[in-house]
Amino acid sequence: MTAACHTGLYLPIECEILSVSELTPAEKLFQVRRTDGVPLGHLPGQFIQVSLLGWGEAPISVASSPTRNNFFELGVRRAGTLTGAMHQLKVGDVIGIRGPFGRPFDLSRMRGKDLLLISGGCGLAPMRSLIQYCEDRPSEFGRISILYGAKNPTYTLFKDDLAAWNASARFACSLTVDNSTGKDCYSGNVGLITSLIPPLTFDPSKTIAAIVGPPVMYRSVITELKTKGLTSDRIAVSLERQMRCGVGKCGHCTIEHLYCCQDGPVFWLNEVEHLRGAL
Amino acid sequence: MKRTLTVCPYCGTGCTFYLVSDNGRLVGVEPSTTHPVSRGGLCIKGWNAFAFVHHPDRLTTPLIRRDGLLQAASWDDALNLVVEKLKGLQKNYGTDAVMFASSAKATNEENYLLMKLARAVFSTNNIDHCARLCHSSTVTGLAETFGSGAMTNSISCFDQTDLILVIGSNTTEQHPLIGSRILNAVRSGTQLIVADNRRIRLARQADLHLRHKNGSDVALLHGIMHVIIAEDLAEEKFISSRTENYAALTESVAEWTPERAATITGLEATEIIAAARLFASAERAMIVYSMGITQHSHGVDNVRCIASLAMLTGNVGRPGTGVNPLRGQNNVQGGCDMGALPDLYSGYQKVSDPQLREKFASSWGLKSLPATPGLPLTRAMNAATEGQLKAMFIMGENPVISDPDQRHAVATLQNLELLVVQDIFLTETAALADIVLPAACYAEKDGTFTSTERRIQRLQKAVEPPGEARADWEIICRIAERAGYPGMRYSTTSEIMEEIATLTPIYGGINHERLDPHGLQWPCPDIDHPGTPLLHVDGFTRGLGRFSPVDHRLSAEQTDEAYPFVLTTGRTYFHWHTGSMTRRTHLLNREEPHSFIELHPDDAATLGVRNRDELLVSSRRGRLKTQARVTEMVIPGVVFMPFHFAEGAANTLTNNVLDPESSIPEFKVCAVQVEKLP
Amino acid sequence: MKILTPNKVDSFFQLLTQKWDVRLPIVLTDGTRVISSLGDGSIALHGGAVSSKPTAAFFPQHSSVFISVNGLIQEQTTPGLPIFVLGFTDRDLECLRFIDRFFANGLRDDIYFTLRSNAVVAGISGYCGVNGALLQPSSGNCDLEFFWDGCRWLIIPYSGAGNEIVADLPDSAPPEAIEAFKKASTALPDENEKILRQASELLRADRVPDSFWSEIGDRCISCTGCNLACPTCTCFGVQDWRSSKTIERSRMWDSCQLDGFMREASGHNPLGTEALRTRRRIHHKLAADPEKWGDISCFLCGRCDKACPTGIGILAVAKELVARFA
Repeated sequence: MTAACHTGLYLPIECEILSVSELTPAEKLFQVRRTDGVPLGHLPGQFIQVSLLGWGEAPISVASSPTRNNFFELGVRRAGTLTGAMHQLKVGDVIGIRGPFGRPFDLSRMRGKDLLLISGGCGLAPMRSLIQYCEDRPSEFGRISILYGAKNPTYTLFKDDLAAWNASARFACSLTVDNSTGKDCYSGNVGLITSLIPPLTFDPSKTIAAIVGPPVMYRSVITELKTKGLTSDRIAVSLERQMRCGVGKCGHCTIEHLYCCQDGPVFWLNEVEHLRGAL
Repeated sequence: MKRTLTVCPYCGTGCTFYLVSDNGRLVGVEPSTTHPVSRGGLCIKGWNAFAFVHHPDRLTTPLIRRDGLLQAASWDDALNLVVEKLKGLQKNYGTDAVMFASSAKATNEENYLLMKLARAVFSTNNIDHCARLCHSSTVTGLAETFGSGAMTNSISCFDQTDLILVIGSNTTEQHPLIGSRILNAVRSGTQLIVADNRRIRLARQADLHLRHKNGSDVALLHGIMHVIIAEDLAEEKFISSRTENYAALTESVAEWTPERAATITGLEATEIIAAARLFASAERAMIVYSMGITQHSHGVDNVRCIASLAMLTGNVGRPGTGVNPLRGQNNVQGGCDMGALPDLYSGYQKVSDPQLREKFASSWGLKSLPATPGLPLTRAMNAATEGQLKAMFIMGENPVISDPDQRHAVATLQNLELLVVQDIFLTETAALADIVLPAACYAEKDGTFTSTERRIQRLQKAVEPPGEARADWEIICRIAERAGYPGMRYSTTSEIMEEIATLTPIYGGINHERLDPHGLQWPCPDIDHPGTPLLHVDGFTRGLGRFSPVDHRLSAEQTDEAYPFVLTTGRTYFHWHTGSMTRRTHLLNREEPHSFIELHPDDAATLGVRNRDELLVSSRRGRLKTQARVTEMVIPGVVFMPFHFAEGAANTLTNNVLDPESSIPEFKVCAVQVEKLP
Repeated sequence: MKILTPNKVDSFFQLLTQKWDVRLPIVLTDGTRVISSLGDGSIALHGGAVSSKPTAAFFPQHSSVFISVNGLIQEQTTPGLPIFVLGFTDRDLECLRFIDRFFANGLRDDIYFTLRSNAVVAGISGYCGVNGALLQPSSGNCDLEFFWDGCRWLIIPYSGAGNEIVADLPDSAPPEAIEAFKKASTALPDENEKILRQASELLRADRVPDSFWSEIGDRCISCTGCNLACPTCTCFGVQDWRSSKTIERSRMWDSCQLDGFMREASGHNPLGTEALRTRRRIHHKLAADPEKWGDISCFLCGRCDKACPTGIGILAVAKELVARFA
């Protein structure tokens, strides 16, 4: 074989699991640290490729802010074989990571603005990174509204965080669930996330919206925001694709000419709304 | 870098490609650009045929069950034990207490040798292979009507025909390079009739798509033949000069008016009339069929009707015509040709014929050979349940996943006193064995495969087998040696083919050298013979073609209130049979990673089922969990499942009822219930 | 410029194997011509573009990413000889230039460059096409070029490595034949290139209806041959194989014509229909790549049109598209 040593674009770096907690019956939160102690060095909106040797790799967004702790957090939904195997992991187990990869939220354009941070389902994980960032740098941003929609009360992520944000004067929180059975002691809003937008009042010229959620959510939320006068250059969307390599090579995450893993995952809406299949 | 020309190990189309290896490891596949069938193309399974070969799950050493667990053993111990146990059981229970299952995945040489091992070394005709489960109806039905159970024409004929009738074959998925020829033919003006209630890809291009009910093929074909005769569209000259027993056919279809056929098939009478007129009007018409025709408790009757329709319209013996059963496995044609069948020696020579027995016995250095035909594979399984059969030697088959009624199959295998499995992976069947012998895969050995168009082609070794794994033919020879039989010593597979040629008239002119580069089509009786692309040109193999009228029979199991859906089973494009190779091929398994069931949107709505919901499917035999695929691919009332998946195995549900003549199981129709899981 | 006479061809390449992993056009037992090692078949420099893509020398169908033994990732540390590949036509060289840039862009693909970095690439041109047809000379974007003038190989080195390869061969003054031919061939209008450009414009102007892609999709049997045969297709999949002690991660050619290519674990699939996948294949080469790189990424090598069993290779589709919508 002529293959010689290569320098490691595709070699995972060893990390240790510091803690595991259950977010919902299908989602767990992992606290992770590089075993060499080097900080991850990410920005809100970026993702990493998590490797379990023998199981493969999966893209996971970072759920914590670079502004805090010497570890980072990953919210992982059990969906395929790799994430299924991840759910078996315990404190002290070792995983591999590559990254962080991708284009983060454009903090420079968000600074000084009022923010509408809209997420659905497990989209709250990457959004949490941005929310924590804003929480830790209060002077940099204007008024911050958090909008979150879950499938039902059971599958609501980061309940403690949501409660704390709700209680904090720093944030205006609106939460909803798609449906509630009544058995779940839930007394909040029931309805789609789009229903949270019409009651909002904001100045479109001073506001930036960011959206992260399941594919079905984007179009309807964007329509509501545009009705309120927000233009495409003020709406950031984080698009979920099946990123495999994370480095713009393998082709699994393309949106026309864009590679979601490098050109995204966070895009300004006006960069992608005309592209076939983007939303 | 090295490139080795070899034959694809998946379907019976017979595409060839080069295996690319680098330092003893396979790293890719390149198509042959000159091959008359594949012509520089391949299907996705072919393009990925290298990818499972070095999988870490490969068996690398013999295994013997000790203390309930399969444990690594030496070849000496394993082979001695195989021989000792087989002989011991034969001594106690008679020679026919053991069964040999050969494999349509193995080479001609290996099928011939296992046949010889059973008959010459272990003195039993209990030898069969998985053709029993796929085209035994064809072998029986076409032997009776035409005198030869093989595809009458060649794959190149698809380029020279005016009409193609595809009935019970999902050709673009199961024989993709033949399916692509049909697509191309349609583009250049060939008419296409698809008779299959699944909306397969070919149906989208068809002039007529007949979505008749499962198991109603005899009614449909009778209806069509009725119209052809009634409207005076039959080819009288062909019938009078080339066939016999026509009067009996006319009588048997007389009452099958299109209206009557319509009530049974669920079609409109006008559709049947249109199909008849279209088919009869073609100057050259080909009939293509596969498991949709054969895997019924009346599979042989279906085949008889197809033969009748071809003869009725004079569509035999010319280019662009013919009855073209597409053989499923890469070497299922060869497995049959080599006599891995309970009643036939190689070349379809009957064991019941004393002269032929004498010929084989003397060539093999024996005084005599057993005269009574042995057990078909499916009946052997039943015999094992009942305790008459004590041992099975299975080479390269996985009946736990592939046989009907899984619970019965597993119980049967567990009931045996000895189960020996020779395979490349520890399949679900091998996991039940007492002794497991590790075999080389197709890329690791030499030999020949015979494709669906009777093309005998060379398989060539590209890399070494892993660990101690050995080619099937080497293992068989070593067993024979240990059993004290001196007549199975070969240093190469070409020596085995020389022996085959001397004993097998249709392979009389075959030797390995002659097969380069693109093989020869049998019959090839002598060394100067160029091979035979078309059968039955001047006369049928049996002389006159025989019309064999049949009676219409319903499928064995009908739906009722408890089991209201018809389940039909089959394969997907991406997987091969029980998945031992394709489920270990990354891209193929990614495409279809788990068991699913196709369900019509109307039925899904009634059941409140959405795409990807988990369903519980049950029949009188068993139950399983699988995932819903809501699609108009199927008609209301019918559900389809592929049988590849060990988890959610369709054969948990299927009905182990056999065609009385061919002993093929009715995989294509059984009754099931479908429920949504909470 | 150097000269290699036909009777010296075998010994010349034989000698090269001391320092290079030599790959060149050979003819295999059934007449298929590919690029492979000496000894795998007879040298067959004549006959035009080889059937398999020459870029596979650097981006093979299957390659190892890493092996982990007992949990420790081991880099492969035994470099073989550097690769010498002869057999790139000028179109193949354009393809190589395209994927060189692709793999180098942004984060550099070190697996590709492990093979590519020290490799020597030799173009082939002159009167050595099918039945002596002319193969266009390259624009010099290779290390050296073999030009068949009808009776011998004229070798033009373009790089230091190229020079080194042919240092021992006899010199020759550049014959006018090459220059004249170069001039004449650049002026040759290529009808197919025109069609491709027209098709590209139609796609970029969004003038191709979805019904067209459905029709083409109906004829696609998902063999993936178009992608696997294409010298500018770079998509790959990744698999892990695990045994008791070792884990082997490797990558293999993948295809956007497969439903699972973009399907997510949730079941969501941005390329969930045949029509979308067929559109993606053509659109990617003729519209998306021009948008990103400024180049149509089909250089008309013809391999997908030959590999496709149902006649929907890129040129065939482009022709149909232009005929119907231009």
